[in-house]
Amino acid sequence: MKNKNRQNRKGLYLPAKVEILDVVDMTSDVKLFKLERPKSFYYSPGQFLMVSVWGAGEVPISITSTHEIRKDIELCIRKVGAVTSALHSLTAGDYLGIRGPLGNRFPFEEAFGKDILFVAGGIGIAPLRSLINLVSEQKEKFGKIALIYGSRNPSEVLFLDEILRWRDEGIDVYLTVDVKTDPWKYSTGLVTEHLSKQRISFKTCHSYICGPHVMIKAVMRDLSLMGMPAENIITTLEAHMKCGVGKCGHCYTDGKYVCTDGPVFNYTEIKQFGMSNP
Amino acid sequence: MKGHFVLNRAHLSYWLRQLRKDADLIGPLRSTDGDIIFSSIENIHDIELDCPASIPSPKEFIFPQKEEMFRFSDKGVSSKSNGERRVIFGVRSCDISAIALLDRFYGELYEDSFYMDRRRNTVFISIACNTPDPTCFCIGLGTGPFLKSGFDIQLTDLGNRYLVQAGSGEGLKIIRRFRHLFQKPEKTDFDDQYEAMLSSQSGFEKRITLETVRQKIITAKVEDSFWESVALRCFQCGGCVYECPLCTCFNVVDWKEDKDKGVRMRLWDTCMFKGFTKMAGNVLPAEKQIMRTKRWYFHKLLYYPEQFGKFGCVGCGRCTITCPGRIDMAAVANKLD
Ligand SMILES: Cc1cc2nc3c(=O)[nH]c(=O)nc-3n(C[C@H](O)[C@H](O)[C@H](O)COP(=O)(O)OP(=O)(O)OC[C@H]3O[C@@H](n4cnc5c(N)ncnc54)[C@H](O)[C@@H]3O)c2cc1C
Ligand code: SF4
Ligand code: SF4
Ligand code: FES
Repeated sequence: MKNKNRQNRKGLYLPAKVEILDVVDMTSDVKLFKLERPKSFYYSPGQFLMVSVWGAGEVPISITSTHEIRKDIELCIRKVGAVTSALHSLTAGDYLGIRGPLGNRFPFEEAFGKDILFVAGGIGIAPLRSLINLVSEQKEKFGKIALIYGSRNPSEVLFLDEILRWRDEGIDVYLTVDVKTDPWKYSTGLVTEHLSKQRISFKTCHSYICGPHVMIKAVMRDLSLMGMPAENIITTLEAHMKCGVGKCGHCYTDGKYVCTDGPVFNYTEIKQFGMSNP
Repeated sequence: MKGHFVLNRAHLSYWLRQLRKDADLIGPLRSTDGDIIFSSIENIHDIELDCPASIPSPKEFIFPQKEEMFRFSDKGVSSKSNGERRVIFGVRSCDISAIALLDRFYGELYEDSFYMDRRRNTVFISIACNTPDPTCFCIGLGTGPFLKSGFDIQLTDLGNRYLVQAGSGEGLKIIRRFRHLFQKPEKTDFDDQYEAMLSSQSGFEKRITLETVRQKIITAKVEDSFWESVALRCFQCGGCVYECPLCTCFNVVDWKEDKDKGVRMRLWDTCMFKGFTKMAGNVLPAEKQIMRTKRWYFHKLLYYPEQFGKFGCVGCGRCTITCPGRIDMAAVANKLD
């Protein structure tokens, strides 16, 4: 999954100024930002942006919208520290800086005619959503499509309305939470407990996974043990990033730059490097 | 031979003085506390020609320790170009070899405009090393003491004169502009250069090839207990990384000068620090020092060769000089050899 994107020759580090069109509160610490999409800005599911707030800094954020479907750019951002807090204080009409799109994309043409399994944990639904919406636009090209989405508790479930729409459109949806609090009519337990319930053919299925590190690790291992070919088990990794373009060295792990060789990797690649450490 | 000239020793300072007229002339000086540092030359006679390796390496002139990336304000961003012309004189062969590799690192895939702007405006005049330091081991890596290519201009000190070799168009230009100072070389000039090279080659105390080490790591013959023993001696000072001409990592920080304006800077950073890879949720992928030690050595010994076909070390010996724990590249290679 080499990135062939050779753009941005001049001003590699200069962000473009874009306007925030709307900000939607999703949970107590997650907001959805809708940004103006600059002219000739094309992106694919799995790619990310380096997002700047002047004076606070720059952080990598996945694009959660789908180019083919929306005219704006959507980012789903959890407040965890300095820059993400600064982002959360912005409102419609404010400006921020973006660089990108960066990184490689989810390969999905290989899944034509085959079943697809999406596995998301927490805010990991954000990068997958870009692909799920693209795939659900052309469902006839694929076999069965299933989504398992795990959250800590019912109040942290993101994009619930959209997920229920996907279900109505024919995607098998399994929602699960670690801790049942509010009235909750779906499942409980870890996403790994629901893998075997899927009515898909594991031997030919393609799987796309995103979530916390421990979850990704467990799901990849289990799917592999269930007979899914390692090349079909695909994830997107997180790493500390300062440049997004293969220069600052922060995201570097065992010979790979997560920012330019990834962030999307398959299980074969992951077994060769990374994930060994944490 | 084309691109080869002879410069009388007495004409060197005149040539440098001419070059200084339309470029910043940078060269090795002795600082007040005795270290060799590269700096702008006020007085040509201050240049140190016979001196040990500079600390830090001249990489700071194309990849500064601290640099402004751009200024931001509520109006947007603005970035100034690094257009100043520079001639850097007296650089060592190993450092030229390092810069040739940095050119590929910063230039390939995505081009780093800050580095490349500086690079395009800089001409290097290097001097082949007649007397290697006890810490040097370029000879085992092919990155010195004399270079066959990759330089702009290489001088060989032949006593009363220099053999001058132009290796790039830019180099040739600044010789041609002062053609009257240079003569055509005779056979004896090449013979003398050859002798100087042989004598230099015999002067190396350290004879290390990193290839054995690489093979041993690839074939899993180096156990973690070895890296543990190296890591145990690390003070986490970052010295090896800052001094190494091939370490390229940086951090990016915003500096607010006012309510709505400021500057984004980049600063050298080091993978020897625990927080270097810290992620959301305070996950520390390289929490133990052994992981960071392995990361540094594996990058230089395994992944540089994979990516560029060359080691991420040119044998300059600066980590040997710097490391208070005595666990530098040469020491590690010696133990594994
Ligand atoms: C490819 C990619 C896509 C991502 N997509 C999303 C997304 O869609 N939504 C989302 O909410 N988050 C996403 N993240 C995570 C997000 O980048 C971090 O949460 C953010 O950088 C934290 O910055 P901060 O300044 O708010 O936190 P800080 O105040 O810097 O610290 C909070 C925590 O985040 C860690 N951190 C700091 N800088 C980085 C960095 N550059 N990269 C990773 N961790 C860092 C710190 O070490 C600390 O543990 C993504 C990360 C990557 C690598
Ligand atoms: S690893 Fe040490 S000897 Fe090798 S180039 Fe870097 S500083 Fe010089
Ligand atoms: S110079 Fe030595 S002590 Fe300092 S960080 Fe490098 S290996 Fe550790
Ligand atoms: S984020 Fe800088 S090298 Fe990957």
